[in-house]
Amino acid sequence: MPSVVRTGVERVRTPQRSPQDERTSQVEDSELARLAAKGDGDAFGILVERYGASARRVARAILGMDEDADDAVQDGFISAWRGIARYDPTRPFRPWLTRIVANSALDLGRKRKVRHTVAIPEHAASGTIRPDRATDHSLFRERLRVALEELPERQRIAVTLFDAEGYSHAEVAEVLKVPEGTVRSYVFHARRALRRALGAFKEDAP
Amino acid sequence: MTEQTPFANERDQSLGVELRAALDTADTDVFIGRLKTAVADAGVETSWDVLAAWAPRGLVAAFAAAVLIWLIGPSSAPPAPAALMASAPIQIEVAPTLPEAVVITVAVMEGR
Repeated sequence: MPSVVRTGVERVRTPQRSPQDERTSQVEDSELARLAAKGDGDAFGILVERYGASARRVARAILGMDEDADDAVQDGFISAWRGIARYDPTRPFRPWLTRIVANSALDLGRKRKVRHTVAIPEHAASGTIRPDRATDHSLFRERLRVALEELPERQRIAVTLFDAEGYSHAEVAEVLKVPEGTVRSYVFHARRALRRALGAFKEDAP
Repeated sequence: MTEQTPFANERDQSLGVELRAALDTADTDVFIGRLKTAVADAGVETSWDVLAAWAPRGLVAAFAAAVLIWLIGPSSAPPAPAALMASAPIQIEVAPTLPEAVVITVAVMEGR
């Protein structure tokens, strides 16, 4: 089984620019995927750098903030790497990859029946105590995580992809395999539920 | 967070920022490095790898098929030559011209 092969990615990089982001940012996803499909591990490595953090957030939105999410991302990326030849370069790469990672997270969640719950600190739940601003912000994020976990699975994915990751409705629809109108509904209801859950912090949120 | 309808196309920017911050941790770079290593170690499957994965099952199936053919083979084997002869229709010899009436009469009378 061949491991990482260095071939075409050198051609698309610009060696004189030192930061890797700059070197690789101009290369289209589809071009990197095409090189990866020929066995170019470096090309796929750039895609990992480009989308690893985003995929981790999506997996965490599905599974919660524990190691299961990291395992799901790893499984998803390995599946994508092994199945890169099945990617259709005429379609956007990001939803294709995210769908694989999301499915991996959903499968893992079903297998392990993990429903990670984060205890809400009492003072955060009450919403009446106002500590210093930094602590307040930290509590807000903690409550946001809890509120997100309480949403139905698909609403969680939809609002994370749309509002946090910048996906279009059409791209979210492709990831979830549902009509765009359904995505709009998911996002709307998710926002409303989050707004309700975070009511005490609503005015203070940056 | 802003009030919006399901028909709005705008992102809720402030919610997006907060969601990203809530779902991110400080170890993202370490995680990405680990992820790249895991992917590189996993390698990519070639068509030979796929065939190799199927090979043991294929060999077992071929062996099973061979055993099965060997077991049921005799009943469906072609019949022996003797059996062929027995089942063949009786050959009738026909004279090119009709015999005369006296020849037939003599043959009947002699019991031939």
